Amino acid sequence: MALVKQKKSVSSSTEKRDETRDFDGLIHEMKSGNSVAKRWAVRDLADYPEKAVAPILNLIDQETDLIVRDAMLDTLEKIGGDKVVEGLIPYLRSEDVPLRNAVIDALQSSPDAIAKHILALLNDQDSDVRIFAIDILQMLPHVDTPIWLLSVLKDETHINVVANAVDRLSEVGTPDMVSELLALKIRFPDEAYLHFAIDNAIKRIKGE
Amino acid sequence: MKKILIVDDAMTVRMYHRQLMESMGFEVTEAENGIEALEKGMSDTFDLFLVDVNMPKMDGYRFVEEMRQIPELQSIPVVMVSTEEEESDKEKAYLAGANFYLVKPAKPDELKDYVALLIGDEVA
Repeated sequence: MALVKQKKSVSSSTEKRDETRDFDGLIHEMKSGNSVAKRWAVRDLADYPEKAVAPILNLIDQETDLIVRDAMLDTLEKIGGDKVVEGLIPYLRSEDVPLRNAVIDALQSSPDAIAKHILALLNDQDSDVRIFAIDILQMLPHVDTPIWLLSVLKDETHINVVANAVDRLSEVGTPDMVSELLALKIRFPDEAYLHFAIDNAIKRIKGE
Repeated sequence: MKKILIVDDAMTVRMYHRQLMESMGFEVTEAENGIEALEKGMSDTFDLFLVDVNMPKMDGYRFVEEMRQIPELQSIPVVMVSTEEEESDKEKAYLAGANFYLVKPAKPDELKDYVALLIGDEVA
């Protein structure tokens, strides 16, 4: 499922930064300020990449103001790297759909860091997490994406995970993968949607 | 001819559901997320919404909650179709205002039966 982030700007000429702009002041404001102050604090915390990640991650699923939450994710995206990715991955299990979608989007912005976790996510016990791992691959500019998707075609047993991988392969697959796609029709003989998706993927891969 | 709005961010799913709904004689319009669906819902008249859950910008639960608050849309039947298969997911869908909830991939006959139950079948 395509996840395109809706960017929200926090800038406004009338918005003021009231709290001291040192790290402790920004953390205090992020926890207790009004919506505008929180957004500014979260944005300015990007200047403290080493120290800001953990406090933002700790608050992200408690923040009820979606604009502040988007600002938190923007800051985490800006900081990026292993700590951010490792801290965001647990939120793939969140029941909060908008948060989960935003996390998928944020994870795509650290391709090298998330790449280290893709195989583990594709083999997670929870089929939803495996589906979200494929969603991450949708926009992940990584050379191994087709190989990871191919591994799903060969080994995965959950129909929705397979169908999601087929859908992604229709965008990044190559003609040598057609036989693997056709093999799925034999492995899942009664799944009408999957057969439709396979036919569609093969047409797109062949440029028909 | 009755009209159906298919709301799903996955193009392949939209194409598949379009094929099924057109085979029942319905006219089909597509939207990629809840916001686009609300816009299209307000600018045209639909007899049923066929809605995914996980979508960017506005997810399916939120879309159904929102449309149930809009007088022009609130009585339109909704079938939600999602990869989420937990009972809690179905409960969330019904609490939001869905009429039926199906787990993807919906069997063609099952999906058609639910739609026909709600708005009939144009080719029956």
